[in-house]
Amino acid sequence: MEVVARKTIEVEVNGESYEREVEARRLLIHLIRDDLDLTGSHIGCDTGNCGACSVLVDGVLVKSCMMLAIQADGTKIETVEGLARDGELTALQQAFSDHHALQCGYCTPGMLMSATALLRVNKHPSEPEIRKAIQGNICRCTGYVNIVEAVKAAAE
Amino acid sequence: MTETTVSPERALVVEEGGEAQRGFIGTNVPRKEDKRLVQGEGVFFDDVKRHEMGFVHFVRSPYAHARIKSVDVAKALELDGVYGTLTGDEVAILTDPFFELSTPPGARIKDYALAVGKVRHVGDPVAAVVARTRELARDAAELVEVEYEPLPLILDAEEALKDDVILHEDAASNTVWSGVFDWGDFDAALSEADHVVRIERLHFDRFSSTPLECSGCVVEFNRGTGQWTIHGNHQMPGIGAIWMAPALRVGIDKLRFVSQDIGGGFGNKITLHPQYTACCLLARKLNRPVQWTEWRTDQHTANTHGNERTFLDVTVPVKADGTMLGFSVRALDDCGAFPRYEPLGCIIWAQVTPGCYRWRNVRVDFTQVCTNKSPVAPNRGYSRMQHLWLTERIVDIVSHELGLDPIEVRKKNYVKHEEFPYETPNGCIYDSGDYARCLDIALDLIGYSSLEEKRRDAESRGKLFGIGIGSTLDSGTNNFGQSMILNPELQFSGNNEVATVKLDIFGEVVVTLGTVPQGQGHETTSAQVVADILGCTPDDINVRAGHDTYWNSTAGFSGTYASQFAVTGLGAVKGAADKLAVEMKQLAAAVFGCSPDDIELAESQARIKANPEAALPFMALGAILNANNAGLPPELDVTLNVRHVYRPPFEKPDLERKYGNLTLTYATQIHACALEIDPETGVYEIVDYAAVDDCGNRIHPQIVEGQVHGATAHALGAATHEIFTYDEEGNLLTPNFYDYHVPHALDMPPIKTGFIESASPFTPLGAKGMGEGGGAGIHAVCAALQDALGRRGEGPIVWRSCNPSQGVWELLQSPEKTRKLVNVESR
Amino acid sequence: MLLREVSYARASSVEQAVQLLSAHDDARALAGGQTLINVMKARAAAPDVLVDLTDLQELRGIELGSDGTVVIGAMTTYSDLIGSAEARARPILGEVCEQIADVQVRNRGTIGGNVCSNDPTNHLPPLLVAVGATMTIVGQDGARTVPAEEFFLGVYMTAAGPGELLTKISVPAGKTDGFASVSIGKDGTCIVNVAASLENGAPRLAIGCVDAVPVVVLPGSAEEDAVRGAVRDAALDPPSDVHATADFRRHLAEVLALRAVAEAARRG
Repeated sequence: MEVVARKTIEVEVNGESYEREVEARRLLIHLIRDDLDLTGSHIGCDTGNCGACSVLVDGVLVKSCMMLAIQADGTKIETVEGLARDGELTALQQAFSDHHALQCGYCTPGMLMSATALLRVNKHPSEPEIRKAIQGNICRCTGYVNIVEAVKAAAE
Repeated sequence: MTETTVSPERALVVEEGGEAQRGFIGTNVPRKEDKRLVQGEGVFFDDVKRHEMGFVHFVRSPYAHARIKSVDVAKALELDGVYGTLTGDEVAILTDPFFELSTPPGARIKDYALAVGKVRHVGDPVAAVVARTRELARDAAELVEVEYEPLPLILDAEEALKDDVILHEDAASNTVWSGVFDWGDFDAALSEADHVVRIERLHFDRFSSTPLECSGCVVEFNRGTGQWTIHGNHQMPGIGAIWMAPALRVGIDKLRFVSQDIGGGFGNKITLHPQYTACCLLARKLNRPVQWTEWRTDQHTANTHGNERTFLDVTVPVKADGTMLGFSVRALDDCGAFPRYEPLGCIIWAQVTPGCYRWRNVRVDFTQVCTNKSPVAPNRGYSRMQHLWLTERIVDIVSHELGLDPIEVRKKNYVKHEEFPYETPNGCIYDSGDYARCLDIALDLIGYSSLEEKRRDAESRGKLFGIGIGSTLDSGTNNFGQSMILNPELQFSGNNEVATVKLDIFGEVVVTLGTVPQGQGHETTSAQVVADILGCTPDDINVRAGHDTYWNSTAGFSGTYASQFAVTGLGAVKGAADKLAVEMKQLAAAVFGCSPDDIELAESQARIKANPEAALPFMALGAILNANNAGLPPELDVTLNVRHVYRPPFEKPDLERKYGNLTLTYATQIHACALEIDPETGVYEIVDYAAVDDCGNRIHPQIVEGQVHGATAHALGAATHEIFTYDEEGNLLTPNFYDYHVPHALDMPPIKTGFIESASPFTPLGAKGMGEGGGAGIHAVCAALQDALGRRGEGPIVWRSCNPSQGVWELLQSPEKTRKLVNVESR
Repeated sequence: MLLREVSYARASSVEQAVQLLSAHDDARALAGGQTLINVMKARAAAPDVLVDLTDLQELRGIELGSDGTVVIGAMTTYSDLIGSAEARARPILGEVCEQIADVQVRNRGTIGGNVCSNDPTNHLPPLLVAVGATMTIVGQDGARTVPAEEFFLGVYMTAAGPGELLTKISVPAGKTDGFASVSIGKDGTCIVNVAASLENGAPRLAIGCVDAVPVVVLPGSAEEDAVRGAVRDAALDPPSDVHATADFRRHLAEVLALRAVAEAARRG
């Protein structure tokens, strides 16, 4: 395989296909936010600790700030914008609102992706399982209390 | 029409156990903000894009203290894709220094958008580069060549006092402000005491609430009108403009601040004016929009921290029965390299001089100094938190040393329920509360009655067990006149906030706020207030999201800070809605030919009370006035577009005695913490935790509780891990989230909450601001550690606010080191 | 936060990966990226070429040998290992992986990446040294094996040199293991960690976070005095940093060694 400094890549995000030329050094989160204008996923740190950039790549929960865009070539990505269908919120999104699991909303997209990933494989998680599933998502507003309640409620 | 996340048929959630609510105030209506935020459709500044905008990267100093010998941007400019640069030399020519709040010598500090002549902390911005992409701007920044001449540095406040190494030559001293506060008769109290407890030193550590969204802006300059539009996350644009406009030598109306959603602020987005000014200059110079994103490392090293404060020579006169008569202290505050919003922290603690206690004799010798560390800002709990931590440490240490129960001592010394409104020694009026009752609720929530059983169980597993209380007050709605106590030349006093409420042509109710929400639910709570006044539902109210100085709903102090929205923001909303209601009734009366007193507003209509069938829906009112107004009586003075400025009732303080009411409301939080320490490792775990709050009438209980949770998480982080530590060269050792550990979901203990509502007699809705909290978690954890680590007259003293495992282990290893910080003189 | 310019190639075979790594002076293997990309964001390292190992299926997966040896492909993620039935032949492996970082990191981070980055605070180097793992390295001259104890050479340095790839890690079967740590926050970065493995009552300890590489300590027995004495005799000289002083680390090493041994003994 040839060594390249830039490449035209293809990604499918929330069911829609995109083709973009990217530098090899471009982070996936910047592709998503800046090149594809999907600004729902956020950046909160520069060391891969906060999880605000969490998305699903081929069904796997990852932090998109620790992946290069070029590595995502040919993958199917799911971001927060793909959760609701035609404005119809998922049970999880509704539960977040019902239980006041968001204040400023900045960590929320990443939190929702982590919780979505959890609920896909564990339909009835315990509280410790929920906390472990969102351990990689920092929130500075809520203290996580209501987030855990919301995920529990969505699971029922 | 407006939207909430809930369809109109869905039942509203009403708080269990409360009285039946007539209106929406006091209920948990679905938050208007949620629908967009859970879909990732919020608009944060970094989501804003402008065609051909340039990305800004700041070149920052690697030295804590150095002269700038030269700045050469030539190589950076050669890089393809670089649009331009800005250096300190340009800034010194194009702008005037930001005005300083202090008296001399602090008044003489020169603070610019970029470092001029000297750098004073690692991360101090020296130059800015703008390029076509973020990565190119970063690359180009590495090509800027700066020659520095390193200077000796100061990282310790006590060293800074000596003025051996001076940060600001113009000031010729590191002292920003200094003064003595003396109320009551401390000397008499001393002579009356049965015991005098002396604590040599306590230290409140440097940390910050580190909002998840970093600072930033997108700035556009209109060459034709000379007007800047700043899409950013400045949480107090009123004061931002007051700093920036004179510096840029333009009128204040030339600065338009716009924000929609902000990812947390917690006081750390109040002093963004230096970087914003640099971006304004760049937008004008390069004739293109510029975009600046602060990265996490920049936020930790070069944005703002909370005040770091050392308390020396604490002296506490105590009676034999545990009544404390007051205290004296020498407080030394480290504000970092530039004061900016300081020295206001030098007086703001005085809002809660005696803490929760009935202490009448207080003497505080307060000095604030500059050091080569990151500047500080009003971080959540601003200055009161540090002071309240002191009062709580005093109560615990005195109790331990004298063999008294800290809980009984608190109850004995707390301001009593029947004493409210209570005037403190320096004239602040605590509006309402019942601290003893809150304490009892907290104790009940953590199962205090089975305390001994828990202790035995923990000890059987080799753990040390401790219980601690943290009492705190969240004083809210500032009287800015307190700034005159620091500097009589300042022309600031009182406070204000603005709102507009109008009825549009189709009967839509539209609200604009002057505040700058960062997650506190302003759209929702405003809608609740307006709905109750106008007789409709929150779904009928369209509250414009965010802030825009061009909405004509801002005033000098507009912003979101200092725990005041429920008072000032909602006070403005209520005032505007009340006026609009009057106008709607007047208009309806004119149409029906009756008196306005005969009209009521209900079910989105204006109707005759005695004959509800005679009704005008809001749409009719809006249409008549706006589009179909021929024939209305000429004396009818109605616009259906009301702007109201809420002004809290304040007097200018007595500058001589440093006396007067400094804040309008005083919300309570009393926390109880039970923890277990592994003595072999110093690692401790909070096994039970309760937070009880009293913020008067709760407009939206879920939102209030959310703030309590969040404040608790911030406090627990600060108590256990979060600390900004520097090495000897002034490098911050915790510059990012890898090293600066903030609590995640596995770190948080279970939190039980309780509340009471002691309505404030002074506010429009009986509510009090409560967003900051007051750091009760820090006070409670320190108290619990103290309880676990040492008993009467023995064991170490918890003397710092942040106690990570190593700290706890060291306290256990060498109790004598801290034991000697305390001395008891018994007479 | 923003990387320097870099070139990128996705290897389609181990041979090709080795070729690419050898052909470019400043080439680095990109496994899960959970360390390397962060390092590049900080511009603490700026390789010229990244050789992405994502497509190397032959490096993924865990096999169980007939003698119970667990053979882990270097590109196996932590999540893969945690979910692997084969890995349960040595339960401590999955248990420790569960403590590493968070689920997002575990989904992409690899066993090989953790081992080759050899950050002194990593979990797996001391663990693999304690359980007596063997590393297989492939270079231009073919494959060779190196015992774990000799694999870790210095901070961020291992026996897998430039132009070489770690391909698999073989762990003998066993159950009498323990792992104890003190970390920054729950399941956070380790301040000190100790892995212990008991074989015929004799403990084999590897202490992490106290030196450039895991420190091997071999007490004569699992008795408390023997373990304490052996750790003290190791005369540890740990670093001081913002999270812990040398003294505290030295103390923790002793305490955690005892706890790791006790845990291993409990499983015996």
